[in-house]
Formats: sequence, C-alpha cells, structure tokens
Amino acid sequence: MKNNIGHWILAFFWILLGGILWALSFAGKLDNFWNGMSGGLIAVGVIRLVRLVKYSRDSEYREKVDTETRDERNRFISARAWAWAGYIYVFAAAFGTIGFHISGHEDLSFFCSISMCALLVFYYVSWLILRKKY
Amino acid sequence: MKNRIEEIRKQRGIRQEELAKLMGVSRQTISSLENGRYNPTIMLAHKISAYFGMSIEEVFIFDEEE
Repeated sequence: MKNNIGHWILAFFWILLGGILWALSFAGKLDNFWNGMSGGLIAVGVIRLVRLVKYSRDSEYREKVDTETRDERNRFISARAWAWAGYIYVFAAAFGTIGFHISGHEDLSFFCSISMCALLVFYYVSWLILRKKY
Repeated sequence: MKNRIEEIRKQRGIRQEELAKLMGVSRQTISSLENGRYNPTIMLAHKISAYFGMSIEEVFIFDEEE
C-alpha cells in the first residue's frame, strides 16, 4: 500500500457510491438488493479509510504493511492460494453440474457448467499470455 | 534446498527480526527459510549471501535428489 491520492479517492468513492445507493433505495427507487450493496460499499470504504489514516500517521504500522506487501513469501503464498482456489472451484463446479442435474435443478447445473468452462477458458488465455511474457 | 542461514546468523549474533528487516522481508520468511519450508528467489538468496559476505553456494546447498 502506498500513501498516494488514488487510494484516498477510491475509499471516498466507495463511501459516496454506497451513500447514493442507500439514498436511492431508501427513497424507494431501488430494491433491497441495492440497499444491501450500499451497506457493503460503505463498510469497504470506511475500512479502507481507517487503514489509510493509520498508514499515514503510524510509521511502525506503515513499515509493517510495506514489508508484508513486498515480502516474496507472501506473494508466493498468495499465488499458490489462487491456484488452489481455482482447482477447488473447477472440481466443485464439476460436482455441482452433475449433482444439480441429478436433483433436477437444471438452472444451477447450467450455471455450474458455464462457470467451470469460463474458468478453464480464463486459465488457457492467461497461460497463453504468460507463456509469451516469460 | 538446504541452507546455512540459521547457523551463520547465530554465529554473527543476529536476530531473525534484524535479518528480516535488513532483507526487506517478514520474520516469518526468515523462519521458513531456516526451517527449509520455503526456497527463496535468486534475488533474495543473492541478497542474503551478499549480506553475509559469502557466495550463494556457501549459504545455500543445492540437493539434486530433492
């Protein structure tokens, strides 16, 4: 995390967007889905803002965050975790496709199969791009 | 890959926290390196070896069987 203006703008943007959605849903212009979304966005914005304030004022916290961000083992673990998540998702979606089909939930079965195919396409495209890069 | 980081660090009286700070990594990374749970990138291996004033081969022992 760098103490740049972009992070501050983004934090205020989430709060503003959340506030607008909340106001519109409170006025009855939007349904409850957007009301829930507004709460989430405001929470994200406030948490980011609190972290930014602490980052800019507390040098010990800033050093800790910078080290954690730069740390190569953390980056390695993050990449491995994403890879695991991808594998787990593909298997879960495959089981979901069959399970939902057997139980007669065709919409959910279709969603699982499409999302599994999409993930595999994303993987293949990423692999092609990375192969050229490295 | 085995390494002698813990041995050399202790010989020189450096704490894990100090070495981590100097290398720009977390203390957990130094701990994982010493325990052999994590193999460093060539950049970190070079940085650690240079800090100890040794060659990479003197600090990191490549085991072909692993």
